[in-house]
Amino acid sequence: MREIALHILDLVENSIRAGAAVIEVSVEEEPDRDLLCVAVEDDGPGLPVPGERAADPFFTTKEGKKTGLGLSMLKFRAEQAGGSFCLSRSALGGLAVRASMPLSNVDRSPLGDLAATMASVVCTNPDIELRSRLRVGSREWSVSTADIVRGLPVGGRGEIVVARRMKERIAEGLSALHVSD
Amino acid sequence: MDKIRSLQDILDIKEQAQKKTALREDGYTMCFTVHMGTCGIASGAREVVNAVAAELESTGRTDIRLTTSGCIGACEHEPVMTVEKLGAQPVLYGHLDAAKAREVFRQTLAGKSTPAYLVYVGAAPSDAHATKKGARA
Repeated sequence: MREIALHILDLVENSIRAGAAVIEVSVEEEPDRDLLCVAVEDDGPGLPVPGERAADPFFTTKEGKKTGLGLSMLKFRAEQAGGSFCLSRSALGGLAVRASMPLSNVDRSPLGDLAATMASVVCTNPDIELRSRLRVGSREWSVSTADIVRGLPVGGRGEIVVARRMKERIAEGLSALHVSD
Repeated sequence: MDKIRSLQDILDIKEQAQKKTALREDGYTMCFTVHMGTCGIASGAREVVNAVAAELESTGRTDIRLTTSGCIGACEHEPVMTVEKLGAQPVLYGHLDAAKAREVFRQTLAGKSTPAYLVYVGAAPSDAHATKKGARA
């Protein structure tokens, strides 16, 4: 994966396959500590196995498959950049996947197109509440599909309009907070 | 799968496959499914979804569904997209990017196929990789 935003998309798709109804994506930067933390949390069923097993590339819960590369690739990517990866229980009730890495590490992947990632999820999953939270130091910014839907008239291709708004709002947030590439 | 012993077995398999892939009676006449497994995402499935969404919006049609699913085991052809039309066999297109996906979408709406990106017609050769709800990679 060339971008962290693609890993985020992979995690969100995992949450959707796991039956989550609420998914929260957060991107947090701590410039003073030279740290980037990304997390995807959901209200799904969580993991049926210990975290270290789930990050094994030869472990999957999907029937008929022998590999599960998504989590292991993110773990590798985080550790390669001098960071860490952890799986825990989310406050939303499901799984929380977190990866942190030093912002300035030359091996850190670029964040990439987070707005496109979020838009692609929204336009194909109108029934899922997708939240996004950005933070740089003490400055925070957030948006959710629920907020966007509230301001929209009913009818037509609602999910595509919501996706476009989501894309715009994320772009605004990234620019307002000066989130690193 | 059990051994195929008669023509009836083949017909049963056909019926089951068609049931599995048939569009539901929920008002949609067409469905575009972009396969968003890790393999698809790494190869550009996100751009395919966003391109098809833009095309779909420009048509203003509400009888076409755009959705995603997991890996179907055609990783070497990623990004792949299944196109289903009511009463027709599903078609899998592969090696897509944003421009090619737009082309497939427009051709499909014009009632044509896009042989250049065709992977196969019909139900998946093996549904071993079909992702079930409740599973996680």
